Amino acid sequence: MTPSSQNFRSAQFRLPSWMAWFTLLMFGFMYLPIAVLAFYSFNDSRYSTGWKGFTWKWYESFLNDSRILTALANSILVAGFAVAIAAVVGTLMAVGLARYRFPGKQVYQSIAYLPLIIPDISMAVATLVFLAAVAIPFSGGLIQLGLGTIIAAHVVFCLSYIAIVVSTRINALNPHLEEAALDLGATPVQAFIQVLLPELMPAIVSGCLLAFVLSLDDFLISSFTTGGGVKTLPIEIFGRIRTGVKPDINALSVILITATGFLFAVAEYLRYRTEQKRFKD
Amino acid sequence: MPPRRSALTARSRRRFLQTSAAIAAGLASHGCGWTLAEVRPASAKGDKDKLSIYTWESYIDPALIDTFHTHTAVDVTYDIYDSNETMLATLRSGKGTNYSVIYPTDYAIADMIERKEVITLDKSRINGLENLMPQFQDSPFDPNNAHSVPVSWGTTGLIYNANEIKTEITDWSDLWALKSQLTRRMTLLADVREVMGATLKSLGYSYNSTNPAEIQQAYTKLTELKPAIATFTTDAWQNQLIAGDYLLCMAYSMDAVTAIQENPDLNLRYVIPKSGTSLWSDAMVIPVTAPNPDVAYEWINYMLQPAIAVDITKRLFFATPNQAAYDQLPNPVRNNQNLFPPEATLKPCERIITLPPQVSEIYDRYWTRLTSK
Amino acid sequence: MTADSSRPSPKPTTKAPPKWLEPLVLLLPAGVWLLLLLVIPTLLIFELSLVPAIRPGQVVNPSGLENYFRLLQPDYLPVLGRSLFFSLSTTILTLLLGFPVAYWIALKIPKQWQNLVLLSFVLPLWTSSLLRSYAWITILRPTGVMNTALNLLKLPSLDILNREPAVLIGMTYSLLPYMVLILYAALEKLDRRLLEAAADLGATPSQAFWQITVPQSFTGIAAGALLVFITGMGDFVNPELLGGASSMTVARLIYNQFLGVTQNWGFGSALSMLLTLVVSIAIALLLKYGDRNAASGV
Repeated sequence: MTPSSQNFRSAQFRLPSWMAWFTLLMFGFMYLPIAVLAFYSFNDSRYSTGWKGFTWKWYESFLNDSRILTALANSILVAGFAVAIAAVVGTLMAVGLARYRFPGKQVYQSIAYLPLIIPDISMAVATLVFLAAVAIPFSGGLIQLGLGTIIAAHVVFCLSYIAIVVSTRINALNPHLEEAALDLGATPVQAFIQVLLPELMPAIVSGCLLAFVLSLDDFLISSFTTGGGVKTLPIEIFGRIRTGVKPDINALSVILITATGFLFAVAEYLRYRTEQKRFKD
Repeated sequence: MPPRRSALTARSRRRFLQTSAAIAAGLASHGCGWTLAEVRPASAKGDKDKLSIYTWESYIDPALIDTFHTHTAVDVTYDIYDSNETMLATLRSGKGTNYSVIYPTDYAIADMIERKEVITLDKSRINGLENLMPQFQDSPFDPNNAHSVPVSWGTTGLIYNANEIKTEITDWSDLWALKSQLTRRMTLLADVREVMGATLKSLGYSYNSTNPAEIQQAYTKLTELKPAIATFTTDAWQNQLIAGDYLLCMAYSMDAVTAIQENPDLNLRYVIPKSGTSLWSDAMVIPVTAPNPDVAYEWINYMLQPAIAVDITKRLFFATPNQAAYDQLPNPVRNNQNLFPPEATLKPCERIITLPPQVSEIYDRYWTRLTSK
Repeated sequence: MTADSSRPSPKPTTKAPPKWLEPLVLLLPAGVWLLLLLVIPTLLIFELSLVPAIRPGQVVNPSGLENYFRLLQPDYLPVLGRSLFFSLSTTILTLLLGFPVAYWIALKIPKQWQNLVLLSFVLPLWTSSLLRSYAWITILRPTGVMNTALNLLKLPSLDILNREPAVLIGMTYSLLPYMVLILYAALEKLDRRLLEAAADLGATPSQAFWQITVPQSFTGIAAGALLVFITGMGDFVNPELLGGASSMTVARLIYNQFLGVTQNWGFGSALSMLLTLVVSIAIALLLKYGDRNAASGV
């Protein structure tokens, strides 16, 4: 340890540890709404701010609330399907864009990454107009606004997010792996599935996670493209806030964050385990 | 997170914009004449034991659905809207094809009839129409109730916290008078006709004025009041009025009565403004796109039964147009002047009527301007 | 790379797929999807924006730029101004609040804990953003949590809900995690040896910060600012739930034209195009400025 780096280390410590306190404050800021929701989910009162006694009744009410449960199921369904489709289509697109040059490639690329840039509401409005003006009349009423149209609209932005995450990874890959596979007699499909795909898998997974969260949380695109009484969770919650809230929504939020926290902990643990395994190999 | 801008260079964007501008110009000049979002009649029948209803928040609750289910084994799902315009917007953009029963207000029914969006009811399938009060047997909006069955009626008024507001509120003009005391403690309905109409009334004009000068005066008067308004809301004021966040809210009679009845310890009062307000009635209609008209008829018949009407009025606090039910109501409910106002109070009230499209557009423009400030 | 000469090189199959098949398979599905659900809709919106007042059920006849002129009237420019104000303020706030957090996580705590701390910070993102905005209503109400706490401390109540400060709080809260994530990604790549070298040469921590840390992480700052700005411009939920009657933003105005009380799809389309235009301008500015900054030898 040279004296100068010692200096730096002490300089680092002299750099006021206000940053640690500040981060703690920001953590508090981030979790304050969650804490408030949790507090009121156990509070035995509909309107009052003060504590009126502990109760589980809002949780019971939530679990008996078929509308919210249906909305939650719809949200998960939409996110699941949209991400599944987008994973396939988006990965293919990312690979195609990385490999080939063709006239109009820049236009294609711009359009492909446009959903990352234009605000949600513009996309929502455009999709609604398209469906109302073109899709429904042309299909003779076969296509109706509903779960399918929500999924179709979600695929558009999921595809962009997955594609960009995957393309970052592709650029970092060894370009000769696939060549080697082809030289050794694999068909292009085999080379793709057995060589390229495993390499891309971490990027695909993280892109999918990102897209899944965004799709679950999407309000605008879903409200514009839904129909037939189909509601996703954000739509249902928004409707309730507009028409007067019962505290069972607080119960929902606590359940949501506990569930995701748990899933996240499991995912982290699994990742930790696979990293340990890789270390040992 | 990888920087996204690397995917877009200035040149590629310019090319994209040029190409799309060309296409757009082509599209625009090619012209059109295509119709936006036509709503088509139902192509397929829905499930026999499912019914989807589109209604106001105060007209339905899980208990009602349960009793209907025990009665008919039909599963009812419902969706809520908070203004007729929202309901019409939903239906007309093709999003409402699953609803078999809708509860529009009278003037909206006239609009829907004109556009052929509701079916003519087969009176032979409905029993109980004779139970309706005489004044509801016919309607200026729907002659002979050919398309609709009245289910509730009421007024629009002001509900306020009499503990906090010591002066007695009697009229719309009190809103302006108490503006400084009520800053950000006041809400109005999220309904263009109601709010503009109330302001027109406070200026001495008709709720349904078609005179652009009068409408503009109303708009100017509203812009004076605007800074004191916390928010425009039709249903969400209840929790906050009870909690004490709001002190005065413009409300429909049934919502006001519900709030008063459920919170007897708070000193809430509902007032029908002296200079007059809107007198409305809501009715059940069956849209042409209804997937389940048969079950819809069952629901309508169910609502017309006096016993059910009594039960709903006692629980959900809306005024029933059902004479047989009214006769069976317990005295406190029957004598509730907020629910069943006396003739004298109702005299200066007007019904909202549908306006010709050009006038509607004037209202809409002023409303958009008002809410944009 | 030559194949082993003792093994015969694989004979190409007689039915070799045409060269254009592979790129087509890769690029066509996405292309079609984007064409149908992104390109054509945008062109339709452009066409609708040329129709003065149209509701569903009416015939489309583009007639001119009346909607765009309506936007320039003094009644609507404040709406755009308010949206810009909210977005820019939120961008600045999230930068100021997020940078220390990202810096601390990226540079001050040991590597193995960084992921955990970072993800714990953004975990609230996984609860619905609507629920979190609703929580702010409960907190900021006149009789809400904040004012109850203030009153307990004998401080006067603050009237924040249904006004602009509430919207700013809500928006900053919603977008802070994204800013922290992006800044973290940039700061994590910071070469600490540069900071060490600076210390060796006698720089104060403040000098090291402004002359090394900030320029080095500039792409991250720019990307984060852009993301927050764009999302802010299109934010509907926070102004709607927290803003009250006098906080109309472009997104709320657009929503009202399509799904709300006034039904004017033409005006709404024009607003939507305007929003896209503003966002494109922001990106163009950033690209220009970013390029210049990059060129100046960072």
